Amino acid sequence: MAVALKSWKALGTSVHVVTTDEAALGRAEVAVSDVLLDVDSTYSRFRPDSELTHLNASAGRPVSVSPLLATALAASLRAARLSNGAVDPTVGAAVRLAGYDDDFSKIVEDGGPITLRAWRIAGWRTVRFDAVSRRVLLPAGVELDLGSTGKALAADLAASAAHGVVKAGGVMVSLGGDIATAGTPPPGGWRILIAEDSRVAPDSDGQVICAGSGGVATSSTTVRRWTRGGTVLHHIIDPATGLPTVGPWRTVTVVAATAVDANIAATAAIVQGEAAIDWLTVHGLPARLVENDGTIHYIGPWPDPDEVTPHPDPPPQGGREIGAA
Amino acid sequence: MSEADVAVVGAGLAGLVAARELRAAGASVAVLGVSYVAAASYAGTSSSASSTALNSSSSTGTDSSSTTSASPSATASSDSLPSSTAAPTTAGNGSGTVTSGGS
Repeated sequence: MAVALKSWKALGTSVHVVTTDEAALGRAEVAVSDVLLDVDSTYSRFRPDSELTHLNASAGRPVSVSPLLATALAASLRAARLSNGAVDPTVGAAVRLAGYDDDFSKIVEDGGPITLRAWRIAGWRTVRFDAVSRRVLLPAGVELDLGSTGKALAADLAASAAHGVVKAGGVMVSLGGDIATAGTPPPGGWRILIAEDSRVAPDSDGQVICAGSGGVATSSTTVRRWTRGGTVLHHIIDPATGLPTVGPWRTVTVVAATAVDANIAATAAIVQGEAAIDWLTVHGLPARLVENDGTIHYIGPWPDPDEVTPHPDPPPQGGREIGAA
Repeated sequence: MSEADVAVVGAGLAGLVAARELRAAGASVAVLGVSYVAAASYAGTSSSASSTALNSSSSTGTDSSSTTSASPSATASSDSLPSSTAAPTTAGNGSGTVTSGGS
């Protein structure tokens, strides 16, 4: 079965949609685009008119939020619970103060010195949220950043929406390297190249895994990094210090049941450092961890990179790839 | 054909969200449109969000729909991070490969 691929840019990152039914690609693309437009206007941290920006500006008083923002907020609070606070949506101000205060394409690669203060962030437990009434109360001074789980949630929602319109077969959606799948996979599974940077071309050298279902996500300190006053900073904040993490792993990839779960685990592993090995093992999640010196560790049922399973790839008769980035 | 209190016409985000709200309010809801699966998945996302565990994708066997669709609902409602239904394998490059990396 030939699969069809369409790629474009949205939310400041790359979007890839793969369908097993070539004729359904156009419908899937429209469904994914619609979800991403809603996500952008609802919880982009960089849009002055987004609902999240309004919520952050309303800290100190209760606010009613839309179903989509409530879903994203609930996902981020679940991430915090499951990771014992290693992933925490209340790092918003810390991310901004570290210099990540605009769409990343506009961040100066080497900016002047800034003063960074270590301070324990307010923490997710200070957020009052009622999922039924969708009322939120942020303590004064707290800013939410739903970036990590928010992007993965967008991938999951987009894959579900696209699967709803393709009628037959399956869909894979990659949003900046966070990958969600829905429906029946192609024979052998969905092909995913594991890399440190999601901009690496999919035909590059490296391990390609085949996943039958679920989600895959990679968190890395090697991307979205910048320099202020000679110090290298990056976008993954340790909630315990409010500063970019300093730990043994530069990149972690996890396969889980959804993109959100994979993202939670990958980001938590970067923050947890050494402790991530036990934590991932307990959860039984296949994971690939890259040490700062490049040494790679595999956890759980991560497939052996040298044990290539013969793949029932069809002859290249219909494999249409459109606009591959 | 089953009966429902409310029929939501259109399975776009607005329809799915409306269905989720109505269900939360106790109504039985039928979403009319092509996105039956999307409706189920989207509705489940909210409950997943409030669950307290991470799931890897292979251990979610309680939800039969997860074997093929791995919808967010499968994970969402669990108290852990379930793994996906089948352990991944290593393959060669081929058509439709996408990259997972940091971004």
